[in-house]
This record gives sequence, C-alpha cells and structure tokens, in this order.
Amino acid sequence: MNIKAVAWSFRQQGIQFLADPQWIIPSIIAPFLFTVVALYMYGSVDGPIVLTAVLGGGVLGMWGNTLFTSGYSISYDRYNGTIEPIMMTPTHLIDVIAGRSIWNTFIGLLNAGLVFIAAQIIFQVGVTVADPLPFFLMLAMTLFSLASIGMMFAALYVLTRASFVVMTIMEFPIYVFSGALFPVSSLGALAPISYVLAPTWGVDAMKIAGIAGYESMTEFGFHFNIMMMFILMAVYLAIGYFLFKAIERNIRESGTLVRY
Amino acid sequence: MSSLRVIKSSFIMSIYDTFTVVRPTLWVIQLIVPTLFAMFFFSMMATWAGRDPEFVIIGNAVQSIGMTTIYSVAGIPGTQKHIGTMNSLAMTPSGLFSIFFGMSIFGIIAGFMSIAVSLSAAAFIFGVSMASINITTAVFVILLTAFSIGGISMAISSIGIYLRTSAIIANIMAYIGLVLCGVNFPVSDLPGWAQTVAHCHPLTYAVEATRGAVDGKGIIEMASSLSDPIPMMIILGIIFIVLSLVTFRFFEKLSRRSSKMDTF
Repeated sequence: MNIKAVAWSFRQQGIQFLADPQWIIPSIIAPFLFTVVALYMYGSVDGPIVLTAVLGGGVLGMWGNTLFTSGYSISYDRYNGTIEPIMMTPTHLIDVIAGRSIWNTFIGLLNAGLVFIAAQIIFQVGVTVADPLPFFLMLAMTLFSLASIGMMFAALYVLTRASFVVMTIMEFPIYVFSGALFPVSSLGALAPISYVLAPTWGVDAMKIAGIAGYESMTEFGFHFNIMMMFILMAVYLAIGYFLFKAIERNIRESGTLVRY
Repeated sequence: MSSLRVIKSSFIMSIYDTFTVVRPTLWVIQLIVPTLFAMFFFSMMATWAGRDPEFVIIGNAVQSIGMTTIYSVAGIPGTQKHIGTMNSLAMTPSGLFSIFFGMSIFGIIAGFMSIAVSLSAAAFIFGVSMASINITTAVFVILLTAFSIGGISMAISSIGIYLRTSAIIANIMAYIGLVLCGVNFPVSDLPGWAQTVAHCHPLTYAVEATRGAVDGKGIIEMASSLSDPIPMMIILGIIFIVLSLVTFRFFEKLSRRSSKMDTF
C-alpha cells in the first residue's frame, strides 16, 4: 500500500467535501429520522431502548454515508472525466479509494455523533452508556468495518456506470441484517446472513459495552465479537484488494473503463 | 399543442436516457429491492416493538411512491447541470416546465409501479390480508397518490434550476414521510405542530386512503367531506402542481437573470 497516495487522496477527498459540505445534511437527516421512528415505535425515551434507537440511527447513518460516498466518488470521476488520469498514474486505484474511504469514515463518525447530539437535544433522551471507553472504541471500529464493506463494493463501481443503482440496492440490506435497530435473533432463519457481516459483530459488541445487562447474540461475549469483526474485515479487505487488482488489470487490457 | 409535443418528446427521451445508463433488469431490481427491504426492516422493528406489522407494511408500501417519485423527478435539473445540457435546454424556445414535466412522467410512472409492486408484495410476501380490499378504490388512490406526489416532486425539482442541486431537499422530503405521514406509527402520536405539517403532505392522506382501501372502504366513503383523504389528495395535488408551475417560472427567471443556470 502506498501510504503517501492514501494520505493525499484523503486530503483531496476532504477538500472536495468542504467545497460542497451540504451533503452532510441528508446524511444526518436520514439516520436521525430512523432514530425518531424507532423512538416513536418503541414508545420510550429512556433506558436501554434509547441507546438502541440512537445507536441504531448512528450506525445506519455511518453505513449510508460510507456506501454513497464510496460509490459516488467513482461516479463523479466518470462524470468529471478524472477517472482516466487516475488510472494512468502509477498509483493503484485501491490506494486512491482507501484514502477517500478513510475520509468518509471520519465523516461517518461525525454523523453518528450528530445523531446522538440531535436526539439528546430534541427528545431530551436519557442516553447512558455503561462502559464508555470500549463503547466508543467499538463505534469507531464498527465504522471501519462498514468502510471495509464499502471498499469491497467500490471495486465493482469501477466496472459499472450504474453504481448509483448498486448503492440504492445495497442500502437497506445492511440496515436489516446489522441488528442495529432490532435483535438479529428476530430475523429467524435469515439470521445467519447477519453473522457474515462484520458490522453485526461490532454493533453487538457496542451493545454489550453500552447497555448494562444486555444479552449478546452469542454466548462468547465481547472479545469474541471483536475477533469475529476483525476476521471478517480482513476477509472483505482481501476480497476488495484482489477485486481491485483483477478489475484494474482487466480494464487496462480491454480499454473499457470509460465506455459510456 | 407545441407544449404537448415538447412534453411527449421529453418523456420519450427520458426513457432512452434512463435505459442507456441502466439496463432494464437492473432498473426493475432497483425499483423493487429497496422497497421490499424497507418494508421488511420497518415491519421487523414494529414486531420487536410490539406494534402491528401490517400497519407498517402498508405504510411503507405507500411510502415507496414518495421515495421513487421524489428522487427521480427532483433530481432531473441536477443531472442536466452535471452532464452539461442545462444551458442547451434553457436556450430552446420551449419552457423548462414543459421539458422537465415531460422528463418527470417516467419518474411518476416508476412511482406508480413501485407502489403497485409493494402492495402486491405486502399481500404475497408479507402475508397482509387483502381479503376485503376494494380494488377500484385502491387503483384510484394509487393514481391520486402518483398525481399529488408528482406535484410535490415538480415543485422541489424547480429549486434545482437555481440551486446547485435539489437532491438534498428531495432527500429530506422523501425521508420525512417516514416520520410525519403515519407510515410507521399513527399521526396522532406526533406533537401538535408536527400533525399540522403532516396534514399538508399528500402522503399522509395517501397512507390513510390506502389503508382504507385495504379494509374495503369505497371512494365515496372516503370522500364524504372535504377533510377526508380523497378530496384532500385532490386539493393538495392541484395546489402542488400549480405551485410547481409558479416556482418553475420563478426559478427559471431568477437563474436566467443571475446567470446561475449552469452553476453547480
């Protein structure tokens, strides 16, 4: 990995974001509205249910942000005609995408924080976190796990001009299977799908750290969740790396990158 | 007559545009999958919260038209700016309203398809009982919903002529229905001010009327007074169509005067 390229890509993504920061509005509003819906549906603004609602909204916001910004960054390169210069440089595309994803992860974390603050101010909810340090560490790690899924799919966005369609399709399945707003166990026969998603383990670990007396989805506890999350993240990143390599080689050989 | 021709050709061109970028199969998948997952997601939340999942499934089936229509219609000016065709369109003697209205028809049809598919999914996948559904009322309500939501979408779209994009407002409007319009919980649960806002949104009446149609109510039954859902959808639909006509003219004039037509 070319660290310098990743750092400059991170900086460039930051500049582009600050040139048009209005996008932070929808990426906060949608997850905040999910939190509001959850608060109304659960009928409580106190106790562990509130943490589930706020945490759920935050996680969904982080995913929405990661998914859409990763996908749109490639689409905008296509629109703006910058994808060819990027491909012509000796830097691998995965390094460019990694830098962008890290910026998006940072903004995603900001989103989660803003959802938390908005819920606190508007609903005067009594959010209490049982064990704050592991909770916030897991929040950051869960966001990285979401970014690793984003990285894996970003490789496919290079192949298609319809990346926005893929993004739209991908949004809700993670909401459903991550267990962010309702327990994975309530998914019944579909629950095993959740177990192959790294964020599911992260969300569960956050709930273990944040909610006193929370019953985890497995009997193995907090550290097992962290281990599972890291294993799955490594798998996603490895898949993403090989996909990027294969796709990059393929489009260079066939010259089909900008067929539009 | 010439406006009608402009609308027709814009409509046809918008179909070509869509399917040049996205294959029809992928387009259909994109229309169906998010809606089905949204219905599933919120019904799971309702089940876990001890609420009636059928209430939520029908609500989200109707909400799908809001998402589909608002996004596709409101995004049109932004797309034209992005691909560099906004100036060319503005230079033609046809008014932008006719052009964008023509382009919007496909989005409105997509919304109509989305709600039809969602209601079918509610019955065949999620097991919502449609035993007493009044089909005529349901079709009428869906058509009215497409009309009224189309009006809102056009009004939002007009803002995109002047601003860099209308996608942000569209995003907010599309998602706000989840909270305000009785999609996931009754409007009566909301605070007073929010209920007032909810009653200015056609989706609130669309959700109520669709639930009524599923319960077997007829058109007359839901149109006995002006405050009933069907008359309110017609009134709000007309108001938003007229409003969109006014806002289109206003933003078109404003962006011509300030040379902001292709600013983004």
